[in-house]
Amino acid sequence: MAEMWISMGPQHPMTHGLWTLKIKVDGETVVDTEPDLGYIHRGVEKICEARDFTQITTYCDRLCYASANTWSHSYIYAAEDLLGVEVPERAEYIRLIAVEIQRIASHLMWLGAYGPDIGNLSIMVWCLREREMMMDLLQELGGSRMHYNFPRVGGVKRDLPHGFAQRARAKLKLFLNRIQEYESLFDESTVFLVRSQGVGYAKPEEMINHGVSGPNIRAAGVDYDVRWAHPYSVYSELDWQPSVERSSIKGADCYDRYRIRVEEMRMSASMVLQAIDKIPGGAETYHEPGDPKILAKAPSRAPEGATGSHHFEDSRGESMFYLAGGGEGRGKMPYRVSIRSPMFITIPYAAKCMIGYKVADIPAIMGSFDPCIGETDR
Amino acid sequence: MASSDWLDIRGWTESIVGWSMDLVYDILPSNDIGLGPLGTLNIQNEFGSIQGALETFIFTTIMCTVVFGTMMITLMVVPYIERKFIARLMDRLGATTTLRSLWIGEGHTTAGQWWNQLPFGIGAIVGWVVKTLNSVAGNESKHIAVDRVHNRGYHGIWFLFPGFFQALADFLKFATKEHIVPAKADRVVFETAPVIIIATTVMVYAFVPFGPHIWAANPELSLVFMMAVFGVAPLGVFFAGWSSNNKYTLIGGMRSAAQLTAYEIPLLVSVLAIAVISGSFNILEIVDFQIETSNTWNIFIMPLGAALFLITMIAEVERIPFDMPEAEAELVEGWWTEYGGIRWGLMFAVEMMRAYAACILFALFFLGGWQLPFEDTLVGLPFVGGIFEMLATATPGVAILLAKAYLMFAFFVWIRASLHRIRTDQILEFGWRWLLPASIVNLAVAILLRLEVWNSTAAGGWPIWAAPVLFGAFIVAFIVLAIDEDEEALELNRRMYHTQTLEKASPGTHRD
Repeated sequence: MAEMWISMGPQHPMTHGLWTLKIKVDGETVVDTEPDLGYIHRGVEKICEARDFTQITTYCDRLCYASANTWSHSYIYAAEDLLGVEVPERAEYIRLIAVEIQRIASHLMWLGAYGPDIGNLSIMVWCLREREMMMDLLQELGGSRMHYNFPRVGGVKRDLPHGFAQRARAKLKLFLNRIQEYESLFDESTVFLVRSQGVGYAKPEEMINHGVSGPNIRAAGVDYDVRWAHPYSVYSELDWQPSVERSSIKGADCYDRYRIRVEEMRMSASMVLQAIDKIPGGAETYHEPGDPKILAKAPSRAPEGATGSHHFEDSRGESMFYLAGGGEGRGKMPYRVSIRSPMFITIPYAAKCMIGYKVADIPAIMGSFDPCIGETDR
Repeated sequence: MASSDWLDIRGWTESIVGWSMDLVYDILPSNDIGLGPLGTLNIQNEFGSIQGALETFIFTTIMCTVVFGTMMITLMVVPYIERKFIARLMDRLGATTTLRSLWIGEGHTTAGQWWNQLPFGIGAIVGWVVKTLNSVAGNESKHIAVDRVHNRGYHGIWFLFPGFFQALADFLKFATKEHIVPAKADRVVFETAPVIIIATTVMVYAFVPFGPHIWAANPELSLVFMMAVFGVAPLGVFFAGWSSNNKYTLIGGMRSAAQLTAYEIPLLVSVLAIAVISGSFNILEIVDFQIETSNTWNIFIMPLGAALFLITMIAEVERIPFDMPEAEAELVEGWWTEYGGIRWGLMFAVEMMRAYAACILFALFFLGGWQLPFEDTLVGLPFVGGIFEMLATATPGVAILLAKAYLMFAFFVWIRASLHRIRTDQILEFGWRWLLPASIVNLAVAILLRLEVWNSTAAGGWPIWAAPVLFGAFIVAFIVLAIDEDEEALELNRRMYHTQTLEKASPGTHRD
């Protein structure tokens, strides 16, 4: 068979969103790839220039449907840097709880989608079931099930509701037990190992050069986690360390990237449990919305010429917001918003990783990088 | 034929056809009719000369219809099992790799208490067993919020099994859809491929007996003929993939052709071992051998052969983990991407038919066909033996055979829920490096057993030690192979499945 180009996407099970991967195949072997992004570009950065600092949060929620909270928090830290707000400690703990639960939910969504990528549908149903518990917890915090609009400039929307701590502890402990079941379905199955081991090697030095971050780079043994390297919020007060997979000489394969996310789910669950125990004022106290214990007073206008930025450990890598403050007559709105999306950087590199493998490995490799096109196209 | 039961459909049909033909013979005029220069015509005599052939024709037609009808009606259970069983495996909590998942529930209840849906309260026993098991070894959690997610019990009026007629509704939907042929498809081949696939699959059932007296044809070499017909469909798959003029279907068809040899040869060798051990190429005689002659199911004599037959049959019917030709993750739907409407619906039914045929064949070849498990032992028991004898006599063979086939299909579904899809190069390697040698070893063992151990003069044929020793050895080997995991070696070789091809498969042949 001569070489031919196949256009996978924009509607294709492998893409996990809307984009096109053009692959050149020689029989079953992939010899060249070319990603084509931009199908759902919504111009979020431009929209944000016409919204005030509170309104932008809702747009940032919609950057990624699987991981809304991490994106709105990523923005809110940058906005607080811009406006110079001191956040109460209790609010920081609540934010940490919300973000880490969201991280678990996002990784569960990934694991659930990774099973069908290589032919097993059971894991998807199981993961969505456990994600449901996480969604219920987030719903108690933010009030909605997908786009929470939870953080506020200077704090959070609401305090932990009554009984939240108890329910969260029970659900997370149950969830920690369930992780063993995923492992018994995946790690103990030789068919999964032959599909994921030795497939899709990503070298750490190449990933650093491309700017890949997050679980994908930690899978290759690079010990870089923003929460750990440049601690923000109250991460430095908890007993944890980033999950880093032991590096092999060829870099990280799909199996490493699967392991790292399972370990991260464990770590996030333990962080939430610790945060519930350590939260100042106790997890059972409840403050009304707007109480200074959970929401600091924040100015609505940014001084002219001010800038704010924040690195944030998103579920998929390092996200960053850069805000330039108000100009003449538009102090309530940012002059410019720039978003660094981890997946926008990772997807071209992931496409490069596929060269040399079989057509059947494309969903296995692409899925293991956890693409989310909402944030990629912004 | 020795093994038989009261449901003698062949005998009944034969006598009804014979009786009605005799009736026709009797009412025809018996006098000679003068036709002038053409001589005389005696209608009764003329009819009498073709009566035998006519009887055979009508009888065979009726039997074909009966077998086809039996197949189509009982086939409806197969997608039902697939849907319901996989839903049970998926929506409960815990590893599908264990059957524990069938009864473990959340907070000591199982999600959709399906036994309450059975008629006349016959599910009460099942419900009691499940609840007891849950209270002993169920998950301890009491989260109503989680129950809500998989609370999909059926709350309608109970008429038949809920969702049973979904297959019929699906079929009607496909039947009413437009038939579309892609503009640049090779139309002749595109239209021929479904015919090849569907016709050969239905032809398989000509040789599959549903019971001692429910079968359409029984040639001397029915096993050989049936395996030959069974292997034609992948060719149709290749035609379909090639003619659709679509890159996904092309790759799917190519995969089907590539993996064909990898599992077809081990399959045929293991079928040959069945023929050797049973001393016949005839399916009915293979079943009779197990029921009457040797009194031992083949699975106990030839467990390795049963495992090989199962694996290669799953590959033959293209189910997970061997469904690369249709791999929906990368090839969307593989070779049938371009088909729609009734052709797609029929080919999907054919997928089910092939899986169903594989299950029936496994039951026939290895599970004693229409014999109750341990029938002779149970009947020989003191006191209760009479009850079992009555049960064995009253149950028609077709019911027992279908129960075994459905259990086998549930096993297929269980495999589908627990495993991932492997790659084409991996099934090639697995087929050539593991299945083929194992099947040849199995054949050699079968020949040895038949020549040296089998004793046709003694009662039962197999010596008393054969079944326990052979089956026990297989089980022990299986457990040893399953748990023999050297952790240290695993750590050192943790990337033993490395497959990256950096050089081109066929350099110099490209137009780039």
